[in-house]
Amino acid sequence: MNNICLKSIDKDNPSSLATYETMGGYKVWHKILNGELSPEKILEELKISGLRGRGGAGFPTGLKWSFMPRNQEGQKYVVCNSDEGEPGTCHDRDILRFNPHSVIEGMAIAGYVMNATVGYNYIRGEFMEPYYRCEEALKEAYDAGLLGTNIKGSKVCFDLYSHLGAGAYICGEETALLESLEGKKGQPRFKPPFPANVGLYGKPTTINNTESFASVPEILSRGGQWFANLGVPNSGGTKCFSVTGNVKNPANFEIPMGTPFSDLLKLAGGLRKGRTLKGVIPGGSSTPVIPAAKAMKMTMDYDSIEKAGSMLGAGSVIVMDDTTCMVKALTRLAHFYYDESCGQCTPCREGTGWMYRVLKRIMDGQGKSEDLELLLSVQDKMLGNTICALADGAAMPIESFIRHFREEFEYYIKHGKSMVENDG
Amino acid sequence: MMVDIEIEIDGKVVHGYPGESLISIADREGIDIPRFCYHKKLSVAANCRMCLVDIEGNPTPQPACSTLSSAGMKVHTNNEKAKTAQKAVMEFLLINHPLDCPICDQGGECELQDVAMEYGSDISRFTEGKRIVDDKGIGALIQTDMTRCIHCTRCVRFGAEVAGIVEMGATGRGEDLKIEPFLSEGIQSELSGNMIDVCPVGALTSKPFRYDVRSWQMNSIQTIARHDLVGSNIFTQTHKNKVKRVVARDNESINETWISDRDRFSYQGVNNENRVLIPKIKIEGEWQDTSWDDALDFATNGIKKHAKEGSQFGTLASKNATLEELYLLQKFTRGLGSDNLDYRLDASNPNNAKVLESNISLTELETIDHALIVNSYLRLEQPMINHRIRKATLNGASVSTINAKAFDFNYRISHSVLTSPQNTVATLSGVLKALHDKSSKTLPDYLNSVTVHETHTDIANVLLNAKNPVVVLGEHMNGNTCSDQVAKLVSEIAKASDAKTINASLTGNTHSAERVNFRPDNGKNALQILSSDLTAFALFDVYPNFDCIDSKNAIEHLSRDDAFVVVMNSFDDESVSSFANVILPIASFYETSGTHINVDNIAQSYSASVKSAGESKPGWKVIKVLADLLNLQGFDFTDSSQIADEALSLTPRISEIEVPTSNSKMPNITTVWQYTPYASDVVVRHASSLQQTQIGQMSEASVCKATAKLLKLSEGDLYKGVPVNINESVAEGCVFVHTNLPRQLGVV
Amino acid sequence: MISDQAKKEINTWVAKYPEGKQSSAVMQALTIVQKENGGSLTNELKQAVADYLEMPTISVQEVATFYENYNHKPVGKHVVRFCHNISCMLNGSDELISYLEEKLDVKTGEISKDGLVSVKRVECLGACVGGPMCQIGDQYYEKLTKKRIDEILDGLK
Repeated sequence: MNNICLKSIDKDNPSSLATYETMGGYKVWHKILNGELSPEKILEELKISGLRGRGGAGFPTGLKWSFMPRNQEGQKYVVCNSDEGEPGTCHDRDILRFNPHSVIEGMAIAGYVMNATVGYNYIRGEFMEPYYRCEEALKEAYDAGLLGTNIKGSKVCFDLYSHLGAGAYICGEETALLESLEGKKGQPRFKPPFPANVGLYGKPTTINNTESFASVPEILSRGGQWFANLGVPNSGGTKCFSVTGNVKNPANFEIPMGTPFSDLLKLAGGLRKGRTLKGVIPGGSSTPVIPAAKAMKMTMDYDSIEKAGSMLGAGSVIVMDDTTCMVKALTRLAHFYYDESCGQCTPCREGTGWMYRVLKRIMDGQGKSEDLELLLSVQDKMLGNTICALADGAAMPIESFIRHFREEFEYYIKHGKSMVENDG
Repeated sequence: MMVDIEIEIDGKVVHGYPGESLISIADREGIDIPRFCYHKKLSVAANCRMCLVDIEGNPTPQPACSTLSSAGMKVHTNNEKAKTAQKAVMEFLLINHPLDCPICDQGGECELQDVAMEYGSDISRFTEGKRIVDDKGIGALIQTDMTRCIHCTRCVRFGAEVAGIVEMGATGRGEDLKIEPFLSEGIQSELSGNMIDVCPVGALTSKPFRYDVRSWQMNSIQTIARHDLVGSNIFTQTHKNKVKRVVARDNESINETWISDRDRFSYQGVNNENRVLIPKIKIEGEWQDTSWDDALDFATNGIKKHAKEGSQFGTLASKNATLEELYLLQKFTRGLGSDNLDYRLDASNPNNAKVLESNISLTELETIDHALIVNSYLRLEQPMINHRIRKATLNGASVSTINAKAFDFNYRISHSVLTSPQNTVATLSGVLKALHDKSSKTLPDYLNSVTVHETHTDIANVLLNAKNPVVVLGEHMNGNTCSDQVAKLVSEIAKASDAKTINASLTGNTHSAERVNFRPDNGKNALQILSSDLTAFALFDVYPNFDCIDSKNAIEHLSRDDAFVVVMNSFDDESVSSFANVILPIASFYETSGTHINVDNIAQSYSASVKSAGESKPGWKVIKVLADLLNLQGFDFTDSSQIADEALSLTPRISEIEVPTSNSKMPNITTVWQYTPYASDVVVRHASSLQQTQIGQMSEASVCKATAKLLKLSEGDLYKGVPVNINESVAEGCVFVHTNLPRQLGVV
Repeated sequence: MISDQAKKEINTWVAKYPEGKQSSAVMQALTIVQKENGGSLTNELKQAVADYLEMPTISVQEVATFYENYNHKPVGKHVVRFCHNISCMLNGSDELISYLEEKLDVKTGEISKDGLVSVKRVECLGACVGGPMCQIGDQYYEKLTKKRIDEILDGLK
């Protein structure tokens, strides 16, 4: 456990350059600076490793990097998405706080591979502690001559800057993040064109998640095959999971892909005394909820979770026991999407508010018998009809909660109160 | 080479260009796809999601506006998948849209209403309270009702992309997204009214038109806007013989799909109460209303009596008169044996119009890579010409200026030389000399003693480095007593740098005036007519206190006891009443047929949209009857188109103008007098809503500290009746007056 | 309108972005001037930021109203931003927010009578394993209990 991105977490002074170097940090970067590692070789190793984007969409990282027109003239950018905000997710925060150099090295390697000489790490505005740690780490890296122009006489150039957000979940969407980085509202761009062609300031840009970048140095240091073997087919390596909600010890765990959910639950101390599992949201609030029985059978990898009816997403496991009112839980999630919709696409702007209001009405004891069908219909009309996936993220919980816990919703509508005794 | 792409839409094989959007192909092919945010002249936003279509092989429907065609694509715009998506979007759009169509001015011409008829449901499943948006208001021209807004952002994109002044924005997020300006000060753009046209719903409607009539009760008549050199194509929308509204009419090579606010809202002037409605004669100092017959007799008798010789007669006409009016009027004047006629009333030195011609078309202007703007606040003077230059700047063109003041352009100015009127000749000579130096051409003698400054060289350099430069000369030079030299130097600069030129110094229908030689060959020009011993005058829609450069002298001269003044005017005017002997009411804009010749030399004819107000008559008919009564020959016209045919069949005379090369002496301190665009002619001066805008209310005499000190002026003092504003954006040695007030003290 | 110190800070952000892309610094510029102004923005400040970064004012307004972390009305000296999202909710955030509101005698969005504290319910702050949690200034406070809240409030001056 905690072998790659979180491996410094129990060390003294975990975020320092010295600690990182004692763990083998910047080894790969030095190899590159010495001309011993070609971009082609790096891409090959990444493809072998099976590393998939850790931000939620799971797109193969090596493939993504290969889309960049590395030989095209002009400025290119590498951007790290540290705008962690998916409810239930908080492992990037720990990477930034405890292992910032892995992100710096990962980004520098990416810059080298894609011939991008400037990188930005977009850190959400509330993450001040992680930001300060990253700034310290950047200073250390510059002082050690690991970043800048013509680094250690290698002709390799890479400048890296931290950028701070100001509070908007949507900026986790990569094109919204670019807009935000340009000093605009975080409204997603329609695609194509994709960022690899028209990205930051209109230049070719690759955006990866914090964990993805942080994984890269270790993968290249120990080999793509080594990483792939840690996991299961189609889900190479390890992954950080945030386990939150009704467990004894909520925490982040970096474990091999394919670990049974039941083992992960045990790592988090299991359920509280006398409680039974009701449902699990496995990949962050935007992914469909899975009822207990199915959850206990799934393993933590892309395919198994998909088979169980959900998505691995950002690896944010929200555990709900029998004290949880599913109507209340869904209403809270609906409020989140209503609050965070950027507002540009009609279905999302209007649909998120509509769904929240209907749920709120049910919670207020004013539900109508046709409300569940209305909710299902509204979410269906949002799905797939917008520029970005926020609307899908708002829609999928609605559908899955109602499908799996319909009787709780019907009870609430009929009786004007929750079926769950302990809930007010 | 354009490669053709073949795709299939609804089973029909159609063709597109690489990179062309599906909606653009569908529009060309007449395949109807509903849309709100898409606008052919604006960037693609893809936010309304109304144009979702089914593309085979795609799991989810895709917007036709942002999806680019690729060979072999099979698109369905109205199969079940597409329809389901479109209906879903329609339902979302309507949940928060008010059901106030019966009191909405957009009713009947609302894109949302139209699409809802086809895609909407009769019953709303949304039972929560609808969103209400409080709005700040954005000025005198545009009525906002943002509760109706569907957030398509067309107005926002219009401001950023076309108007070039980012004023409207989408603030907040999610359901609270709100289209609004920062403060409620009012929109500043001279093109703001186009936001009304692009708004698909009743969120932005015409304020002057508010609650007047329903759109379907009006007739739409194709006509031409007459205020500037462009002659934008418009529809007048009329009801019960009144123009109720003006909207843009597409003409890609002239105004594309836009019009200026002046062209859109000036119709209010025509409807203003201050019109002359009945013929009037002055008997023993007293005005009497009378019949047309009596008034015409009175006028012709007076002319016969006071102008026994033709040479005692002089004619002044408005630059906004129609081609037909100008042609008949010159024929009338010359028929009386006079060559004293002019339209260049605001020129200190009327010998310039022919010195510099325009030789680049509006569409070509978009392809220039540099523009040098001389003596012009082009954005306000000629909004649509400026718009084309702005489009060129969006493609990378640079712009430099030689002006007496630094103005707010809606593009960046790379090089700016501030120069007073008295120094303009020196500045232009410096640039010309720098150009000659660079191209090692032989220097003409008159440039020998000219000093070249670095700023001159800079401008010469950008002109020479440009492949397709243009030089634009504007209005401010009219008051310059050396304006002929200014025009000549601009022409030489253009020649030396292979630049095209636009002469925007004389606006309105001046190309018609030049075409019919509405200027003296050997007789007297405007200044001379108003300062010599002529005894009979005809004024055609002329209001000297605004129109004449030396207004005080003009009025005094026309008020002489021995002067007989026949006035053909459309508006009442106190000073005109003081000197006129007879006032014949003539039709104003939209009340007469006519022809406008624009900067591209395109003659655009139009018919009357409404009948003339009161007893007024179209100007050409009045001139014809006067001619008949004076037994002049060649006035057998029954229709204005016959006049236009005759006028256009004649080749205009080319008059060689001798331009002196030595600088005539000018005062140490000069004035540049510029009217706001809403005071530029008598019709727009009477348009009340335009007067309430920030542009309309502009009235200040800008002067720099040093010059203010010499003139002993302090902030807030009146200079020629205009409040003084001391700032350093003005060239030393001059006062830049930008105002809507009449000229009180005449020339510089 | 913008202090020299604030300008200096803004300049360090501007320096991170390419020439002519100074508007990338707008979010931080607003954050900086907001902090200097006691936690909220005014129209004048937004105008000043727009002028300083050579941006249209409405574009600054768009940014200022889009992101959660800007306040357009005065706030308490300390703003307690309490997460009420799912992970925190499952561990009792609602009860703690009510406790906090009662203790300070304010509702969410209001300022305590002494002007010291205002309370804001916010969406996920990305510290879910530490929920219930809140943010005050730059600091996160995790694994909150009523007792811990008492201590934190006592420490606010």
